Parts: sequence; C-alpha cells; structure tokens
Amino acid sequence: MKNTILTIAGICLGLLSNPTPASSAELDAKQILDRVDDVWRGDSAQGKMTMRVVTAHWTRELKIEFWSKGKDKSLMRILAPKKEMGTTTLMVEHNIWNYLPKVKRVIKVPSSMMGGSWMGSHFTNDDLVKDSRMADDYTFEISFNGKQDRKNVIEITCIPNEDAAVVWGKIIVQVEQDTYLPTKMTYFNEDLEVARTMIFSDVRRMADRTIPAVATIIPADEPKESTTITYDDIAFDVPIQDGLFSKRSLER
Amino acid sequence: MSTFHIAWRNLLRNRRRTAITVTAVAFNTGILIASLALMEGMRVQMLRSATRLLVGDAQIHAPNFRAERSMYDDIKDADSLVANVHAKGMLAAPRSYGFGLISSGAKSAGAMFVGVVPEAEEKAFELAREMASGAYLKHGAERQVVIGNKLARSLNADIGTELVAVVQAADGSIGNELYTVGGILKTVGEDIDRGAVFFGSDDFAELFVSAGRVHEIAINGGGADSADIVALLQPTAHRVVVESWRDIMPMVSDMVNMMGAMVALFGFVFFLGAGLGVLNTMLMATHDRVREFGVLKALGATPWRIIRDVTTEGFVLALVSTAFGLAIGVATGVYLNRAGIDLRNVADSSFGFAGIAWDPLWRGYMTLGDVVTSVVAMWAACVLASLYPAIMVARLDAARAMTHV
Repeated sequence: MKNTILTIAGICLGLLSNPTPASSAELDAKQILDRVDDVWRGDSAQGKMTMRVVTAHWTRELKIEFWSKGKDKSLMRILAPKKEMGTTTLMVEHNIWNYLPKVKRVIKVPSSMMGGSWMGSHFTNDDLVKDSRMADDYTFEISFNGKQDRKNVIEITCIPNEDAAVVWGKIIVQVEQDTYLPTKMTYFNEDLEVARTMIFSDVRRMADRTIPAVATIIPADEPKESTTITYDDIAFDVPIQDGLFSKRSLER
Repeated sequence: MSTFHIAWRNLLRNRRRTAITVTAVAFNTGILIASLALMEGMRVQMLRSATRLLVGDAQIHAPNFRAERSMYDDIKDADSLVANVHAKGMLAAPRSYGFGLISSGAKSAGAMFVGVVPEAEEKAFELAREMASGAYLKHGAERQVVIGNKLARSLNADIGTELVAVVQAADGSIGNELYTVGGILKTVGEDIDRGAVFFGSDDFAELFVSAGRVHEIAINGGGADSADIVALLQPTAHRVVVESWRDIMPMVSDMVNMMGAMVALFGFVFFLGAGLGVLNTMLMATHDRVREFGVLKALGATPWRIIRDVTTEGFVLALVSTAFGLAIGVATGVYLNRAGIDLRNVADSSFGFAGIAWDPLWRGYMTLGDVVTSVVAMWAACVLASLYPAIMVARLDAARAMTHV
C-alpha cells in the first residue's frame, strides 16, 4: 500500500535523509516530515486492507491484498466482494493498468482518466501513482505547535513552489507532538479552500512498528461521504519478485 | 398608342442596350435567388443537425441532471411521460447516460455511454442514418455498440472490433463487459464524435446495474415550434423539466438566429448591388437619350408624360428581366438543392463546428418566400431606379437638352 497511503501521507515529504536522531527534543519541519515518512518506509511491503466507501447512494466494503516494492511499483488485488474478486490494479511509475477477470482483459487507465475515482473510492488514480518528488515541489514550515482538540500537535504547512505542477494550493500536515505520528492532513485547492481531509487513527503495533492502522478521507464538498482504509495486516521488507509487477502477472 | 406599347417599342429600338440591361438584372435576380437558397440551406442544415439528429425539439430531464450529469438524477415514471408525449401526437426516445472507460487493446479512453431504445431512436431521429461505416443498433442485438468516429480513431477500432467497458455502476460496484463495434458514426458533433458509445438500454442497465434508470426523453415535435412543445408538455410533467433545444444548445440557437440575420443582411447587400447595377444601366440608357427627350419636350410633351414613359419602360424592362432572372434563379436553386456544392476537397469527410456537424455537401434550400422576395425586390429596384433618371429628364430644359452632346 506504499503508493496509496504512503504517497498521500508523504505528499510533501519523501526525503531519503538519514534517520533523524530520536533523542533530539526539537525537530524542524523537514525532520518531522521525514519522521512521518519513516512510519511507512520500507523497501517493500505486503499486506491486506479493508476499504470502506460511503457515498450518498451506496456503501460498500472491499477486501484488498497489496504488494509494493521500491518507490513506484505496486499491485492491489480485490479479494471481496465476489463481483470484483480478482480485479487487480498494477501501478508502475505513472501508469495504471486494471485487470478485469470477468472479461479477462487488461486495460490501461488513460491520462484523461487519472483524475477519476479509483474503484469507486474517494482516491483518484492520480493519488495512487503520485510519487514523493513532492519534496521538490513544496516549501514547508511549522505553522502551529500546541494544543488542539485536547491533543498536543504540531502543524506543518506545505506551500507549493511557484513553478511546481501540483494540484493542491496548500497542504497542512498535523502530527502528534511527542510521537510525530501523523493525525490529520488537510488538502486545499488552488483557491485555498479545503478540498479534502485525511484523518489517521487507531494507532497500533503492526510489523514491529507503531502506525495508524486507519486512514479516512473526507471530501470537503460531500462531508457525509468518506473512504476509510483499515490495515488488517502488514509486513515490511519482505522479499517480492520484480516479476510480480508486470502485465503478465496481472492476468494470473 | 398606349404607354406600354410606346415603352415596348422604345426598348426594342436599342436592342443592344436593352439586352445588356435585361442580362444584368436577370443575372442579379438569379444570383439573389441562388445565394438566398444557399444561405437558407446552411441554416436548415444547422437546424436539422441540431434538432433532427439526436437532440430533438425539446428534452425532458430530472431538474439537476443537465448540471450534474449524475446517474442518480433520473426521470421517475419515464414510461408514462413517453406515453404522454405519444398521446400528444409527437415522437419520443428515452435515453440513459453513464460515464466510464472504454478500451481496445492497449488503447483506452473516457467515454459517455448512452443506453437507447433503437426502434424509438430510428422512428424519432435521424442519427441512425449518419453512419460512416457499419450499421446502427438493431433490435435485440446484444453487446453491440455504435461509437463516434473520433473515439473509433483514438481506440483504433473498426467494425467488429471488441471493446472493453469499465464503469462505476449505480450500486458502487465495478461494471465491466465486452462489446463489439457494430457501427461508427459520421461527424455529428464534438461530444458525440469524441466520446459517445451508444448501445441498447438492456445492455446499459446490465453494465451500470441501473435498474432501468432513464435520464433523458428527447422529443420530435414533428415541425411544431419548440416553445409550443415545451408549453404543451410542462404542465403534465411533474418533478421534471421540459426544455426547448434552444435552452439545451444556446450557442447553436444563437447561431441559427444569427444565420437568419445573415441571410437578411446578405440579401440586402445583393439587393443593393443589383439595384445599383440596374440604376446605373437605367441612368446610362436615359443619358443616351437626353437629346431625344429634349425633342419630345420641344414638341410639347409634359414632364409628367416623360416620367410616365420612362418609368413604364423601367417597369416593362424589369418584368422581362426578372422573368428571366426567376428562370435562372430557380434552375440554379433546384440544381443546388439536388447536387449541392461539394466541399469534400476543403474538409476531409465532414466537419464539426460549435458542437454541431456540417455535411460537406452544401445544399441549397429554396423557399417560396425567398424567391418571391427576390423577384419583387429586384423588380421594385428597377422601377425605382428608372424613376430617378425620369425625374431628371422631366426637369430638363428642352433647348439645352437638344444641344446636349
């Protein structure tokens, strides 16, 4: 799932810096974002998750198995419900292919549809493949450090550089003061209005790390709708063959 | 000797001059009729492309549908609305809309899926005749699609090509299915050309798990004014909006209106040109005869007599010329209507502009009104044009006129 949550979380981070010394009392904005990035960092990841999508017209739950390797290779396979079982999404660099078992065909998502929803969720196809080069595209600074909603948090405001080709006008990353675990990310459009909010919750021990197991995305224009991803199981740095991330393996 | 007789003999006296004038006026009249027919032809084609192909004179939607294009803004009780339209002696075609991905081999594109009832479409609209290749949807043919020509090109698809559709169904699930291309449309409008996939309403309901949702009812009012159709249907339609094609395609509506104004403007310019030509010829003809009129005056002709003679000449001349002109114009008009002007060497197949399609064969369309207006206008121009030299001559001093060189 590296490329979904990871990318989204790491949208203005993703610096492959040296691990930050955990003992230091005060971290700067960049170091905090590195910490957030470290939460999901791994050469590879594999696991299972549940995606629950709530819209005005329907609610559904997908069970998904995922594999990811490096920064830009991942594969997601739907395990349930039955209608979509076996539907697989392959992401390599900026490309997305979907395998549809019902018609036994692989189709590539055209660039015109990259802004469209992925599997009916509130994630766009673009969200899945946007890489962490965002670090080059944003400047960031600590904009808040104190108590908010009875929690001690730090907020980092990320503003895109003038020449950066990005869709967001601003992103605010909120982390817990003492753990530096992400709690909330707020995305603003180019008019600096809130476009969507992502909330991290249910911090748990998984695969020897402390990570938020649940991420919920809420579109600002449809506040009653949401997509929630819950990690049921995750393992980092597991050996995965490169061949898994190929169109041939999609059809298997 | 009657005034007409004198006029006729005067005209025959200088046959070459008369022939030149008759030719000029006849030619101008002919051109006026033919060009009005061409302009009207363009307007009629635009109107037909706008309303007869697909959109119809009016459409019924759920209040929010045109703005949101949401699968869930459907028309409740579409069947009884269709029956109601039929009961009013008009034709109706119900349609469903959905969006998704269409793919062939390595190529894929975003598409607008339109679920139609083929029989209703063929009865009410002419899109089925606008096939570049293949055939329109047949009744009962499953998993067949008709697609726009630009979409076909971008998918590298031809008749018989297998296409995969992937959509977000109404229940949130991922709908996917295989279809075969049965037909490719000619250019009918940018949206359709670039992204439309037409298929049977049953196939639509299955792909989108749409439970028979209908989003649009297009109406062919059989020649009735679209505003009247709207006024007739709106009171009987609850929780839906009935809109004229002019509201649905305001740009095309404006263009059709502009075309009407342009026809009038061009008509006026041609009329002015032709009128000035006639005026010039008549002035020359009168100028030639200044001495003659001087003699007439010296012999006791009153100014009124001279005015009467000259305008009668103009009248007779106009009668003969416009008769010829009518023949030339109608013949050209009929030819332009049957054969048209082939623009295929200018535009490759057919071309779209402002969202509607142009047939590369530009056909003229003559209306009785245009023909009558052309003839009467040219005839009036002739008579008026002869009035000015007539008055000039009538005011001449006999002695000076006779010595005029």
